[in-house]
Amino acid sequence: MFDFLRGIVVLLAFFFGGSWLHRWGVPIPGGVLGLLLFYFAMVTGVLKLRWVESAADFLLRHMVLLFVPLTVGLMDLGPLLSRQAAAILASLVVSFIAVLFTAGLLARWLLADVPAEECAATEPLP
Amino acid sequence: MIRSLLASPAVSVALSIAFYGIALALHRRWRALPPIIVASIPIVALLLITNESYRIYNRGGDLLTWWLGPATVALAVPMYRNGLALRRSLPRLGIIVFCAALVGMITAGVVAWLLGAPRAVVMSAIPKSVTTPIAVEVCQELHGIPQITVGMVILAGILGASLGQLLLRLIRVRDDRAIGAAIGSASHGIGTASLVRHSEMQTSVSSWAMAACGVFTSLLAAILSLYLR
Repeated sequence: MFDFLRGIVVLLAFFFGGSWLHRWGVPIPGGVLGLLLFYFAMVTGVLKLRWVESAADFLLRHMVLLFVPLTVGLMDLGPLLSRQAAAILASLVVSFIAVLFTAGLLARWLLADVPAEECAATEPLP
Repeated sequence: MIRSLLASPAVSVALSIAFYGIALALHRRWRALPPIIVASIPIVALLLITNESYRIYNRGGDLLTWWLGPATVALAVPMYRNGLALRRSLPRLGIIVFCAALVGMITAGVVAWLLGAPRAVVMSAIPKSVTTPIAVEVCQELHGIPQITVGMVILAGILGASLGQLLLRLIRVRDDRAIGAAIGSASHGIGTASLVRHSEMQTSVSSWAMAACGVFTSLLAAILSLYLR
């Protein structure tokens, strides 16, 4: 429990730090700034992965809950959605295939001569 | 009756958690049911039946949405953990995911724009490939409509989870790392979860790629928003 609370406090601290920088004019969203700062804190060893692991995994595992309200909000956009349905769906499908194929083909080409690592098991994300 | 109850934000939060719990349980039985859709539909139905407005529900809903911020920070954990495991391929994976992020933003925005979508819808489409918490932040940066972004993000995830492997086989992409990079860039967490049964390597690369794609997309969006100003 202590580990979990400590993790939450650390995550919140980085989120507030990132949001603060964002308010002062850094054009990157606060959460992403927090992510980057946090990542570098771990790379440089200032922060230990195990201090936040349980809290971060918990938050990511139940991330779906956090976007339930926005999904429910689609109900208010009915008229706009039906008017723009073709544009939204076409944009979605074309862009999805473009990203999938760009990454897939580029990776096949660029990684051909890089031997694969031994793989470490990871927690699946939702 | 429910009218007076929803006046307290705590009730919306409890309602969302309850339906999320039910959706998770159903998802455990039937893997094909996406929890986000199973959780949201009954809430929409309930609001419509009781003639309750989304605005009232969302006073509590906002409390949940707010936690997407700290969840974004938490994405550093899978990025760091998998980055360690993939050390040798990382520079090239970075290039691959960066190009995928750029192509995704341009194609999504341009197609919506060509089909006559208003500016707010075009901006909502741009971050559609990345994981929800980052997509929402990027959408707000670009003055899009977060609800539309979330809808598109979920659909991109479901497309990747159901058709991703098949489409990659069509263009003869078979390397585990290439499959992971493609699914992680195009379909974030929902796609990544679909790889778990296939291969550890795919899952690991995909988890890294989904976080990296989010970071690159928000950097590119920052440049875009400076240019649009």
